[in-house]
Amino acid sequence: MLHIKPILSSLMRSKSGPVLLLLQIILSVAIVANASFIIHERLTMMQRESGLIEEQILSFNVYNFDPAIDNVQQNVIDQQILRGLPNVIAASSTNMMPLSGSGWMDRYVDGPDQDTAESTPGFALYLGNEHLLETMGAKLVEGRNFRPEEINTQLDQNGMVAMVSQPLATAFWGDESPIGKTMYQGKQTIEIIGVIDKLQGAWVNHSNFEYSVIQNIDFGGGFKNKTYIVRALPEHIPALEETIVKAFLAENPNRVVDGFSSLIDMKKETYNNHRLMATLLSMMVILLLLITALGLTGMVMFNIQRRTKQIGTRRALGAKKRDIVNYFMVENYLICIAGGIIGGLLSLQLGQQLMSLYSLPMLPISYPIAAIVGLLVVTTLAVIVPAMKAAKISPAMATRSV
Amino acid sequence: MFLYYCDLAWRSIKKTPMLSMLMVLAISIGIGITITTLNVYKTMSYNPAGERSDNINSIQLWSQGLDTWDDFQSNITYTDVINLRNNNELGLKAATFRTGLAMQSDDPNIDPILESVRVTDSDFFSIFDVPFLYGNAWDKTVDSQPAYQVVIGEKLNQTFFDGQNSVGKTIYLNRKPYQIVGVIKEWNPQPKYYDPLNGAFNDAEEIFIPFLLAEQEEFDVWGNTSGWKFEPMLTYQDRLNSEKTWLQFWTFLENEDQKSQLESWLSRYVEQQRNFGRFTDTAKTPAESFQISNIELWLENNDVVPEDNKVLVGLSVLFLSVCLVNILGLLLTKFLKRAPEVGVRRAIGASRAQIFSQYMVEVGIIGFIGGIVGLLWAWGALSMLHAEFNMKESVTGLDASMWIITPLIAISTAIIAGIYPAWVVCRTKPSVYLKAQ
Repeated sequence: MLHIKPILSSLMRSKSGPVLLLLQIILSVAIVANASFIIHERLTMMQRESGLIEEQILSFNVYNFDPAIDNVQQNVIDQQILRGLPNVIAASSTNMMPLSGSGWMDRYVDGPDQDTAESTPGFALYLGNEHLLETMGAKLVEGRNFRPEEINTQLDQNGMVAMVSQPLATAFWGDESPIGKTMYQGKQTIEIIGVIDKLQGAWVNHSNFEYSVIQNIDFGGGFKNKTYIVRALPEHIPALEETIVKAFLAENPNRVVDGFSSLIDMKKETYNNHRLMATLLSMMVILLLLITALGLTGMVMFNIQRRTKQIGTRRALGAKKRDIVNYFMVENYLICIAGGIIGGLLSLQLGQQLMSLYSLPMLPISYPIAAIVGLLVVTTLAVIVPAMKAAKISPAMATRSV
Repeated sequence: MFLYYCDLAWRSIKKTPMLSMLMVLAISIGIGITITTLNVYKTMSYNPAGERSDNINSIQLWSQGLDTWDDFQSNITYTDVINLRNNNELGLKAATFRTGLAMQSDDPNIDPILESVRVTDSDFFSIFDVPFLYGNAWDKTVDSQPAYQVVIGEKLNQTFFDGQNSVGKTIYLNRKPYQIVGVIKEWNPQPKYYDPLNGAFNDAEEIFIPFLLAEQEEFDVWGNTSGWKFEPMLTYQDRLNSEKTWLQFWTFLENEDQKSQLESWLSRYVEQQRNFGRFTDTAKTPAESFQISNIELWLENNDVVPEDNKVLVGLSVLFLSVCLVNILGLLLTKFLKRAPEVGVRRAIGASRAQIFSQYMVEVGIIGFIGGIVGLLWAWGALSMLHAEFNMKESVTGLDASMWIITPLIAISTAIIAGIYPAWVVCRTKPSVYLKAQ
């Protein structure tokens, strides 16, 4: 028997303590539910796989400022130098790096007439040669890679072919295979020749983050500022920076070789704010539970002191130790459940508010429920020790001071 | 009397060390979290323009076609920038974008470095009130007759010229000689309000060169270039002729008259451009097709304070309120326990007001200690943010105002939490407790 009625009536007699506890639990549930939802959302975001062999990828920039340099030729020489370096598995030029926070976005249309053609969603546009796929370690699920003779050096050349990422293919063509389709950009045509399992864009917060295309342009030509991507075993990466700078400057000193960054570092940097948010909110949740638990313990302890006589009397009248423990547990569970339900509703309201003000998704109902369960556990832990202590009060205590 | 109450409070705090510590812990953690998020929020939302915030204005234009972009872009097109530069009604005006150039010194042992460079007009320095150490901005004639002149920052001057007056000397950018006309004093507004688009908390550039050089030198754009329609951009000239947005335009408006003058100029401008086949979104009237943003609006539109930060501030205030309720409960507990003592004091002749103020002093002391400990928590948390998450020192440094705000929040939190318990205890009827003893 739980004896809820006498507990309730005793709660009603001294309202202020229980009301405060109720208030605290309501607020805690509202905060914990929303915070843990945001934490979960961020962690899921950070766990998305890039589809590349992240730990083996290093990228850097070369800025050729000598007007005498023939960029197209220099680009070919530089890539040969890179591939000739010891420990380099593969190397390619590129116009952008995944997860880097800066890059190109573009879209194709599916017909020559601008007005009637349907446009693909915006995607990250990578420009690279036949080595890029291998350098990134991205997997081709359908079709083929570029052939060496297909590689262009300028954006306006004919014979453009492209590989698209699977999510983009699914988004635009559905179950149909995109291989062999012809896409348009102005008067230019692009033939789709391959589908890549996974390739992410530059901006982790972008809704089209998983939509990417690699087009057959060796980006180094025609541009002063070039990005190169190199694949090597993780243990060789730290030493490569110096080797590369030395080799490049020996070839031509009139340039700046810098911006070395491994994909691991880039990923860490780009998700920094999400990591920060998740860390801060986790700290908040832990501290909140700690404070709630400590406050609860303090109050239960005080209540026990105040009710020493009452407990002694109950024990003298035949209540078992277990009954005393139960009394305190049930009392606190009642408050906790009432607070949890109101807090759950409040957290949904707060979630609604956050959703309308900021770009946060809707709070699923499972989070308030989990928060209530979590608080029940904390309540149990916080109450059980003082309640056990209370049960030890001897019946003699009741009679002593009378 | 106050000191006596302090003494009494201290004794009472010492009498229940665990409970007191619990309260200090609760209030300090609440304060620590609130101050941490508030500090980051405050430094990020700081407006470096100060009282010039309303005067410094940037211009955005709705140059996009029908059903393309839903908002004003922060950047505008080269065509519009050139036309705005030629608007002689405007007093101070400056176009700007960011580029990067390789800087070389005469010392062959030093590898060339790639420096971030701001391409702008001479008025830029007056609009943003940039302080000069030596020399001045380039002459206004350079804005229409480009010359290879440069203004450099104090740090760069220190590295290359040992901090000496370098006006008249030459530096090489992309192998071209540029004559130094001015050296600016350490100037690094945070947030970088004149260009928050490329990282709102990045450092200011150390090299400034004339805007008109862009056309002949074809400087790369280190920033966003956005287009709303398909336009191949194969040459630099394509870029200049395109509808792509990549430049910012600033002006200094002294008063409302100048603003309305600019507004009517812009209306006429949009209409005129429509005749040339631009500004094709006819859903917008000419008067709706431009936006003049002062610094406050500009910082807000460019999301200088991340949303996450606002969410954090909100949640931490809720957190503090949990702490407040927590302390309220603990104080009530503690004070009620002392009711018999109060009964005796009341019987001896203490007034309710005296009892009330005595307990409020005690609460205030707990709040004050909690505030100090909380400030330490905040300091620790901010250092952690700086070390672990590469947050800029300008954001994680404890803002001076926090030394006042923290104790204020701490004591007021404690007092709000203390009023009810103190009121309950001062209403104690002496007779009840005298009887029991």
